[in-house]
Amino acid sequence: MGSLTFEGLGKSYGEVEVVRDVSLTIAEGEFVSLLGPSGCGKTTILRMVAGLVEPSRGRILIGRDDVTTLPPNKRGLGLVFQSYALFPHMTVFENVAFGLRRRKVAGAELDKRVKEALGMVRLGTFGERYPRQLSGGQQQRVAIARALAPHPRVLLFDEPLSNLDAQLRDEMQIELKRLQRNLGITTLFVTHDQGEALSMSDRVGVMAKGVMQQFAAPEDIYHRPATGFVASFIGKPNRLSGSVAMREGAGGRLAVGGVAIPAARIDQPAGAKVDIVIRQEAVAIRSGIPRPGEVAGEVVLRSFSGARVQYVVRLAEGVEIVAETASHGPEAALAIGAPVGLAIDPAAVFAMPPEGAKP
Amino acid sequence: MMSRRQGLLLIAPLLLVLAGFFLVPVLMLLPTSFGVYEPGTGLIKGAWSLKNYSQIVSDDYYREVIWRTLGLGFSVTLICLLLSYPLAYLIARGPERWRVPLILLVIFPMLLNLVVRSFGWIALLANRGLINNLLMQLGVIGAPVKLLFNFVGLFIGLTHIYLPFMVLMLVAAIRNVPRDVESAAATLGSSRAHVFMAVTLPLSAPGILAGSILVFVLTISALVTPRMLGGPTYQVMATLIYDWPSGSALSFALTFMAVAIIWLSSRLTKRWAGMA
Repeated sequence: MGSLTFEGLGKSYGEVEVVRDVSLTIAEGEFVSLLGPSGCGKTTILRMVAGLVEPSRGRILIGRDDVTTLPPNKRGLGLVFQSYALFPHMTVFENVAFGLRRRKVAGAELDKRVKEALGMVRLGTFGERYPRQLSGGQQQRVAIARALAPHPRVLLFDEPLSNLDAQLRDEMQIELKRLQRNLGITTLFVTHDQGEALSMSDRVGVMAKGVMQQFAAPEDIYHRPATGFVASFIGKPNRLSGSVAMREGAGGRLAVGGVAIPAARIDQPAGAKVDIVIRQEAVAIRSGIPRPGEVAGEVVLRSFSGARVQYVVRLAEGVEIVAETASHGPEAALAIGAPVGLAIDPAAVFAMPPEGAKP
Repeated sequence: MMSRRQGLLLIAPLLLVLAGFFLVPVLMLLPTSFGVYEPGTGLIKGAWSLKNYSQIVSDDYYREVIWRTLGLGFSVTLICLLLSYPLAYLIARGPERWRVPLILLVIFPMLLNLVVRSFGWIALLANRGLINNLLMQLGVIGAPVKLLFNFVGLFIGLTHIYLPFMVLMLVAAIRNVPRDVESAAATLGSSRAHVFMAVTLPLSAPGILAGSILVFVLTISALVTPRMLGGPTYQVMATLIYDWPSGSALSFALTFMAVAIIWLSSRLTKRWAGMA
């Protein structure tokens, strides 16, 4: 076991900087996710930790040991791949035993520890099968057992659930989280799925273009995004462009076309052009004539997705915004063309410099 | 789902071509292989005998040629495998920009006609050839070393000619080994050498098998190169075929041995690589 520390970690391929100056510490037993769109550098960080990619700058420490230049086989890590990467020519038992044999575990002890690892992922009776005889979910569980069996100091996951179907993914999320809690292994989990990152992690690092945008608890990431990127990447955003109409304390009012939208926090001066992000789930819809403080609009599209209903609402001057409501709520069956009032939570409105401008 | 009938219909054209152009001609040789050939007169009508087959197993000369052919097949296959694997590994896993030039280099000899290449080896390996002259002038040897019209000559010539087949097969096989699986072994504690032995090598077994079968079959059935580099006296099975009846019998024996060895080697490989 051990903590995991990055000190000024960076990676460049020629002129392209794919990871820029990342420094953070993952405490012992902590579950941390790296979240970001593809190409943001999160997988490169994971591969640098595993020793599969050599850092261009900075250091990686496990506990107090500097492992920056160690080859992967000397790092004592467990890595679970998106592709599972099982050994197709070995049985499930031999797959799980692989890392133990490398550590000179043999005989009854080997047998015991392989069974123990397979038991943890509820595949106790599958030892004699070959990977190709298992379903995707079972293969992924073998990969997890294989990584766990040698008792690694740190567990690394590279998008381990993205090849599974939605239902299985939810199940595995819970199972993985429980397993990690019980074993108390320091875990670094790389994903592009915000639901996965937010629900499983103690802390989440959101990355874009090689830069760590914010490293904080899931609640902070969601409610208090540090940068415009985090605000627009997390949740289901409405993206609009407008300007700052008025400043008042930390917040003020934004203008989109002729529509005024209150915001709890604005960093730009009055008059500045801004991109605006409004979370769909923070826009409450109510049929009828808008009350004071609500924005008037008209339903142009309704889409039902099970637990929730989304409405596309046209505001004044053609501005469109998506609002959500519970599908069993009173506003779940509004007709196209119905007049509505939108109550927008000012805390869920984020203003940021326009796209293309320097942050 | 496709029915069995539809499947059969789809492969019917290929089956017909294979049957019509390979199976039928080979089977047509079967009666001929029991025929009797009289030097000077030719095929004797109505006569038949088992002599063509019995001489293959009983005649010392035939036996020697069969062992020689098989020995040549095994040694050429083995040396091709040993020489090709490092090169194929470099092509498959080395720098991207080297890949195309290296593959072109491997294919390049195949652009030259077989006969021309064999003549090239005669010029190099003859008693008064380039290699012997060079070695004698350097004082390494006093008299020419016999490199032609014997096992050495055939071994060198055939290896050179069939090496590209092995390399190309192995490149495809090694590129098929997933990098993640190798990385997984490394993170589990395997050194680079152990990753190669435990993962890369067994997972490239299908290519090793395919390449070996190809080179082996091509070697034991080669005609032009053994004829030229073996001369009139150093014969292999293919060059021994000269009249219809005994030639047909030899062809059958050759086919039978090739099929038996392919079957055996694929079984062994599958067991080794855990694909059985």
